[in-house]
Amino acid sequence: MLPVVVVHGGAGHIPKERAENSTSGVCSAVRSAYLVLQEGGSSMDAVVEAVVQMENSPYFNAGCGSVLNVKGEVEMDAIVMDGKTLGSGAVSAVRNIANPVQLARLVMEKTSHACLTAEGASKFARSVGVPEVSQESLITEYSRMRWKKNLVPDANPVECQMGKMGTVGAVAVNKEGNVACATSTGGMLNKMEGRVGDTPCIGSGGYADNQSGAVSTTGHGETIMKVTLARLILFHMEQGQSAEAASDLGLAYMKSRVGGLGGVVTVDPQGNWAARFSSRQMSWAAAQNDTLHYGLYTGEHFRRSFSEQH
Amino acid sequence: MSAVLVVHGGAWAIPDELAEASVDGVKTAARKGFVVLRNGGSALDAVEAAVKSLEDNTVFNAGHGATLNIDGEVELDAIIMDGRTLNCGAVSSVKNIANPVSLARAVMEKTSHIMLTGKGANLFAESVGFSTVPTDTLVSEFERKEWERHKTYVTGVLEDFNTQWAHDTVGAVAVDSSGNVACATSTGGIRNKMVGRVGDSPVIGCGAYADNFSGAVSCTGHGESILKVTLAKLILSHVEQGESVADASQLALQYMGERVQGAGGAITVSPSGKWAATFTTQRMAWAAAENDVLWSGLDPNERKKENLN
Repeated sequence: MLPVVVVHGGAGHIPKERAENSTSGVCSAVRSAYLVLQEGGSSMDAVVEAVVQMENSPYFNAGCGSVLNVKGEVEMDAIVMDGKTLGSGAVSAVRNIANPVQLARLVMEKTSHACLTAEGASKFARSVGVPEVSQESLITEYSRMRWKKNLVPDANPVECQMGKMGTVGAVAVNKEGNVACATSTGGMLNKMEGRVGDTPCIGSGGYADNQSGAVSTTGHGETIMKVTLARLILFHMEQGQSAEAASDLGLAYMKSRVGGLGGVVTVDPQGNWAARFSSRQMSWAAAQNDTLHYGLYTGEHFRRSFSEQH
Repeated sequence: MSAVLVVHGGAWAIPDELAEASVDGVKTAARKGFVVLRNGGSALDAVEAAVKSLEDNTVFNAGHGATLNIDGEVELDAIIMDGRTLNCGAVSSVKNIANPVSLARAVMEKTSHIMLTGKGANLFAESVGFSTVPTDTLVSEFERKEWERHKTYVTGVLEDFNTQWAHDTVGAVAVDSSGNVACATSTGGIRNKMVGRVGDSPVIGCGAYADNFSGAVSCTGHGESILKVTLAKLILSHVEQGESVADASQLALQYMGERVQGAGGAITVSPSGKWAATFTTQRMAWAAAENDVLWSGLDPNERKKENLN
C-alpha cells in the first residue's frame, strides 16, 4: 500500500483548452514525487517536489502562472506541514520568488516561527539566499488576460474563479508511515492587495498528522477558511471515517453551511487515499503500487501502469 | 437566555508587579463588553468592545503596549469571528493602527475577503477611514526597554515562557441573548519576532473560532504551538463530542503540552452560556461577566467573585 502520493492542480472549472496541460502537469508532478518516495525519500521531500513542479509550470495558479491581484501583481501563499512533528512553515503575500513552497519549508526548518508574511517573508528569503525573480517571470499572458477581463466593474471574479485556475497541492505517506502536505497558490483572481486565503492558514489550506492523515485543499478560499476544511476532514478521520468519506463530509458541510465549493486530496497513514471535489472539476493524480491514477471531471478515474509509455 | 462575556489578557508568568494592573484591565474590559450585551447588543459588538479596551491598555501586548519585532517596530495581528454565519475578519502584520480588532471587523464587513496582511491591510485601513497612529504612541517605555534587553528571539521566547518577561495576546468570547456566539483575539506577537512573523492570533481555528453549533474560543500562549494543534478548533471538536467547555479546554491544552511541548490558555463559551477560563501557564489574567456577577482570576484555580454593579 505504501508509499502513496496524491496531487491536485486546482478545483473549479478548467477550460477545455487548458485541460490537457493541467492533466499532464499533475501526472508529471505525481510521477516525480513518487520516484522520491520509492527511493526512500521523505514524504515532505515528495510533496515539495510535486508542488515545485507545478509552481514552475505556467499552467497552474501557483508560482509562475499565478493569478494577479487587483493591481496586476503577483502575491503568493504557500504552506508545508510535517505529520510526524506537526511542524509547519508558511508564507503569505510573498512577492518575486519562484517557489513559495520551498520558502515555506525554509521557514519551518530555519526559523522558530511557522509563518512569515509579505515584506518579512522577502527579507527572510534574501537572508537565506533564495533568489529574487522579476514579476514578469511569474506573469503569463493568460493570467494577464484574465486580470484585464475582471477589471470590468460587473465582472465577478469569484464566479470566474470557481474554476479557471486553481491552487496546487500534494499529500504523501512514505514507507515509514510519515505523512506530509504542501499547498501553494497565487490566490484569488483580482483579489485585494494583501488578501490572504486559506492556503497558508494551517488547518485550512492543509494539515498533516501521523495520527490521522494529511489533506491539501483547493477551491474558494474564504469558505475553506470558515470551516477549516483540512482540519475538519481529519477530525472525521479521527472518528473513524475513511479518507474518502471524511473528504466528502467536509466538502458537503462546506457547501451546505457556507455555500462554497472546492476539492481536496487526502491520505491516511496506511496509504488509503482520496481525490474528491464538489466543484465541476479538479485535476488530480495519484501514485501507488506502481500505478498512476488520474482524473479531471467528476467520476473520472483513469489508471495506467508507470511502466507504460506516458 | 442570559448573556455571558469572558475576556483574557494573556497566559504567561505574569510578574507580581503587573498582576494588579492585568486583573484590573481584564475586569474593566469585561464590564465594557457586558454593557453592550446588557443593552441588547450582539456578541460581535461585545467582543469588539472588550478587545478594544484591552488594546487601549498599555499593560497588554495588543495595540498600545504591543511588543516590538526584531527591527524595533510594531506589527499587529487580530481576528474577529461571528458564530452565526461563520463570517470572519483578520489582519496580520498591520502597522500604526490603534485598534486592529476593529480593522479585522471592517475586513469582515466591508470586503469579500477574510484576511488582509501587511501593506495591503494598511491600504484598506486608509480606504475605509481608519486613522493611523505614529509607532511611538503604540510603544510603551516598558516594551522599548524589553526589546533592548532581549536581543535574540530564541532566548527571548524560551526564556519568556519559562520566566517572567513576556507579555501576551488579549481576547474575548461572548454569547448574547439571542444565543449567538462570537470571539476576538488581538496581539503584537512575540517580542523580537522576525519581521513579518505571523502567530496563531489571526489564523482562523487557531487563535480563535466561533460557531453557534458549538461555541466560541479565544486562545493565548505560545503561538507556534497553538498553530500546530489548531487549538481553538480542537477545543470545539471536543465540545462537539460532548465534553463540557472546561473539560474540552483542559483536554486540548494538555494535548498541546504533550504533543508539541507548548503552554497556553483559552477562554471558551458555549451557545447555552457555559464558560471556562483554562490555562497551563503559570498565570492568566481573565474575567467573566454573567448575570450580575463579575468573576476574575490570575493564579491556577483562583476564582474571585464580585458584584458587576
